[in-house]
Amino acid sequence: MAAAYDAIVIGGGHNGLVTAAYLARAGKKVLVLEKRPRVGGAAVTEEIFPGFKFTMFSYVVSLLRPEIIRDLDLPRHGLHVLPLESTVTPMENGDYLAAWGDHDETRRELYRHSPRDAEAYDEYGRLMHHMAHAVRPILSMVPPDPTSFDPRDLLALLRLGKHFRGIGAERLHALVKLMTMSSADFLDEWFETDVLKATKSASGIIGTFLGPRSPGTAYVLLHHYMGELDGVFRAWGFAKGGTGAVSEAIASAARGFGAEIRCDAPVARVLVKGGRATGVALENGDEFSAKVVVSGLDPRRTFLELIEERELPGDFVSDIKRFKFRGSSGKVNLALDALPSFTCMPGVGRQHRGAFSISPSLEYVERAYDDAKYGEFSRRPYMDIVFPSMIDPGMAPPGKHVMSVFVQYAPYHLNGGWNDAKREAFGDAVLNTIESFAPGLKSQILHRQVITPLDIERITGLSEGNIFQGELALHQLFFMRPAAGWAKFRTPVRAYYQCGAGTHPGGGIMGASGRLAALAILGDGA
Amino acid sequence: MSPAPRWDAVVIGADVNGLVAAHYLARAGRRVLVVDEGAKPDTRPEIGWVPPKIVRELGMTGVRIEQPDPWIAAPLSGGGRLELWRDVTKSAEAIRRLSPSDAAKWPEFCTRMRRLAGVLEALYVQPAPDVETREVGELLRIAGLGLHVRRLGKQTVIDLLRILPMSIAELLDDWFENDTLKGVLGAAGVWHLRQGPRAGGTAFNFLHHHVGSPPGVFRPPRSTITSVLAALPGVETRWGTEAAVVAVGGRATGVRVGSDEYSAAVVVSSADPQQTFEPLKPQLDAEFVRAVGNIKSRSIVARGTAKLERPADFKTLCLAPSLDHLERAYDDAKYGRTSARPYVEAVATDSRLDLHVQYAVTIDPGLVEKVAAALGVPAGQVSLEPQAGHLYHGELTLDQILFMRPVPGWSRYRTPIEGLYLCGPGTHPGGGIAGAAGRNAARVILKET
Repeated sequence: MAAAYDAIVIGGGHNGLVTAAYLARAGKKVLVLEKRPRVGGAAVTEEIFPGFKFTMFSYVVSLLRPEIIRDLDLPRHGLHVLPLESTVTPMENGDYLAAWGDHDETRRELYRHSPRDAEAYDEYGRLMHHMAHAVRPILSMVPPDPTSFDPRDLLALLRLGKHFRGIGAERLHALVKLMTMSSADFLDEWFETDVLKATKSASGIIGTFLGPRSPGTAYVLLHHYMGELDGVFRAWGFAKGGTGAVSEAIASAARGFGAEIRCDAPVARVLVKGGRATGVALENGDEFSAKVVVSGLDPRRTFLELIEERELPGDFVSDIKRFKFRGSSGKVNLALDALPSFTCMPGVGRQHRGAFSISPSLEYVERAYDDAKYGEFSRRPYMDIVFPSMIDPGMAPPGKHVMSVFVQYAPYHLNGGWNDAKREAFGDAVLNTIESFAPGLKSQILHRQVITPLDIERITGLSEGNIFQGELALHQLFFMRPAAGWAKFRTPVRAYYQCGAGTHPGGGIMGASGRLAALAILGDGA
Repeated sequence: MSPAPRWDAVVIGADVNGLVAAHYLARAGRRVLVVDEGAKPDTRPEIGWVPPKIVRELGMTGVRIEQPDPWIAAPLSGGGRLELWRDVTKSAEAIRRLSPSDAAKWPEFCTRMRRLAGVLEALYVQPAPDVETREVGELLRIAGLGLHVRRLGKQTVIDLLRILPMSIAELLDDWFENDTLKGVLGAAGVWHLRQGPRAGGTAFNFLHHHVGSPPGVFRPPRSTITSVLAALPGVETRWGTEAAVVAVGGRATGVRVGSDEYSAAVVVSSADPQQTFEPLKPQLDAEFVRAVGNIKSRSIVARGTAKLERPADFKTLCLAPSLDHLERAYDDAKYGRTSARPYVEAVATDSRLDLHVQYAVTIDPGLVEKVAAALGVPAGQVSLEPQAGHLYHGELTLDQILFMRPVPGWSRYRTPIEGLYLCGPGTHPGGGIAGAAGRNAARVILKET
């Protein structure tokens, strides 16, 4: 019997949609199956409270690969990214540290804290810019297999070695440091202002179960530095209509190329015959056949839930079982009657068009991690706050606002487990902390939604609520993601592929995994 | 005053690396002087792997290498002790009483870790691979190292890539469930590091300290190599001699001792790089000075002794009941405080204990009392001394090993000061490996001068 589809993509998250779009663009007959009523996975916009639209989980865009925006012509499908220009960090002493869209203004602000750091800031920015450029080709490459004796892998490894030697000794050393150091240690080599280091290092801990003093976090610093909007490095933005609009734009592009997308269609398992994937079965029993099945889900569900363990080599199964998730982030979404005024910069103004970072000192962020390390949510957490309605007024009714609070740490494995009371206690800790920097906020709240890692798992399916489909730890990157020998989007089951953020290069609304997977599938002649 | 004799090489530091370097140079016909600020040879045992090559090549006899059996004892919360032996099966039996599942995994764990330590051993008895080289010879050497690893099989390659950057806690959690066992093993992962067991790179530190030991023994041996070296003829050693490098116009000309200057064609320092370069700063490039200043060498270990009333009933006692205990001990150090409940390890010689206490930021009576209480001896019987600087002259973190040690770009023992070489634990392969840095350095010096 001929297969009904060339390819079935399990999961309509942004990576699955990118894979589907690229496959459809190449003339393949593609079906996307999404369990939820809408596409997007963790990149969705939902009206939780009447009139207020929430970017439920992920909230900023920047890592989306420019080649994808170009190839899929996403602006034509409604992608419109608005810049998020500033970051203000309120300090415990009532002062603040601000980084503005205007470079000179940022330097003047830094000078106020430390003339030395203002000097170092430019040099640091240049270095990170070069580092991001040096690493960029890696994002668009299929990782070679270091355990293979295949000449193609050896050649690719050699080329990789050559690339890194080509970037010059000084940058190579900086790269090794970035790959291995803690963000705090790395920043200590550059700056003296504590609040500056705290705020910068905070971007190194996002989505990890690590603190700013944990080795390996400097890499995540770089990972976030790779944000590239329309080819401009380090530009964070907010999608008009929320991150859900990004997913919708990719879905629209995929449909435009002829892909079929079905929502409310949860896949129960992948059909395997003779070591080869032949299609999928839905939870309602419907079966679809396909020449190729692609999973956009994380490695745990891709290999331990969708297919039988006996279809996989034992070593591989133990590797996947050891793959670390440990979700550590939560989210608090608020519908507001009015914008809060922060003590450090009173009133309402341009600061609300950017982010507020609750990272007053390195010790503050590190202590937030200490709580999580022993199984508690942070009593005073690190937070990244944005007001999407200030950038896109369509997100809230006139005069009202939505506030998105990304919170760390909220460990998935909470002592005693998560329940409704713990969730509310976590929400209270978040609001009490913000209230200490912005008194009066609590009285402006019309509605609050608190999301724990367990909620993220329940709603999106992301294992342990890890927003990156697996920790971005050094031993889980590149040719180790998700397992050594299986980082090329293929799997031990023939015609079964993986395309989620659990593959190289990993999380963020980047789409690179989805694109590389599609190219691998097409390269295999599917 | 008669002019001081001219030496081919002056070595600063009569520690194991300084002496090894001196003897290799002397055996090649160089006139070598070793100077050391200490009044007399250090008779304490040397902790760490003694590469057999060094003993053989220098024709040393009488080097005693001790590794007690059982190599560790750890008290159990319900009374009794977990004792681990050189005999893997015997250890597995001991572990079985705590966890049958851990016991079943023990032999495989020991084999896999031993294989990785073997890779490190191969890397340690030669200079760090120079990743920036354009020389064919060096490229071939790197390729050879790569092949050496690949020949050990796919599993070893995967283990290397996966385990080296990991935290020791993650590694141990992958394998074992028992807290006592994980505490004993985890402690080796944080040795001399200002990191807790959950920090990436501590699995490497664990393997570094496994180097030179048989499978299933995770504490380095103790040896008499330094004493034997000090008595080995061939080099002249001057004790009680504090020396600083003298350089003119970016070239080392000798060392200054008090008001005297000993001139030498080559100066080799096994001292801390930060200390070695301090007087030379005006002649050094600002970037290099910054890199040296950035070497992380935060001392967090207090060593000392304790006196028991009667001979100890253990050989090595480890007081680190769990990974969380180690992590909490580190939490204090992270914020600049001495651990409220430190990790203590005691090596017994009759009724005398040699102590390793971590994490100690400062040494105060409170710490002495805590250590005494943990060991169950009167506080008056415990004496602790702070480490003068970091024992390894730089922590063994992933950003400070191989071609990044002591500072990026200068891992080949030579320095920006012509004629000045480093040979101490601050260079590759770092502390805890007796004499490897000294031998590697001497070979480079002999090739270059």
